[in-house]
Amino acid sequence: MIRLGAEPSKMREIELDDVFISRLQLLIIMSKAYLSGYPLGRHRIKSILENANHVKLEAVGLEEDLEWFKKDMAFNDTLGFDSAFYQRVKLLSVMAEAIAKGYDLENHKKEALEKNLNALCESITFNKQVSDMQFLKVA
Amino acid sequence: MKIAVIDADPIVRDFVVGTLMYSVNRDVLPFENGLDAWMHFEDDGVPDIIVADVNLEDITGTELLDKVKGLKRDTVVIFYSDLLEKEAMVKEAGADAFLAKPFGVTELFSLVQQFVVDGR
Repeated sequence: MIRLGAEPSKMREIELDDVFISRLQLLIIMSKAYLSGYPLGRHRIKSILENANHVKLEAVGLEEDLEWFKKDMAFNDTLGFDSAFYQRVKLLSVMAEAIAKGYDLENHKKEALEKNLNALCESITFNKQVSDMQFLKVA
Repeated sequence: MKIAVIDADPIVRDFVVGTLMYSVNRDVLPFENGLDAWMHFEDDGVPDIIVADVNLEDITGTELLDKVKGLKRDTVVIFYSDLLEKEAMVKEAGADAFLAKPFGVTELFSLVQQFVVDGR
């Protein structure tokens, strides 16, 4: 039996913050795959739209929590990101939606997307490369 | 290639479904309980890959595994849980893979690579 995931001593339930970070990582991979020219398909488009929507809604909620945190120091912001981070997340979700809807991004927008992806990857220390996932080359 | 995901928790289920759907660019069937899934499998055929939370309310993971393998032996059955004892249980029962919670996109992509691309 193949075993993947958390080490035995670190096993625990999946929390909302875990899902947010995982969905953000997925959105980063989806966007990097687009920039690398990997093909889309009907189900990939559906998946990108759904994921972008989830991430955008969650980022709005977390940013509001952050504003609350600034006013009330007793509130505990579990993720600990700043407002700029959530702005970048929302920007990524909008750009991913545009990709899924078939809008052709001009070069300067692709550069902006790449810059945004790099900043987000640095914030969440995520360095997965789409070249590691050859199956994404097949539609 | 048919894939099904069974989990009562919609937050985790939707994330797993979305990640797998994107990876394979195929529809992925979501079910919130084991009996609904089983009834669907009996009518429409057992999927090639089943990814399920071990803690299903209406049927145990090992019962589901026995039923599925009894109908279609080569179906890949993957369970996930946050409990170490469940890992030992599904290993003993003959599951193909176990995902220890918390897991993320990297682990789901690894499953796609191993069971869809490499066909192991």
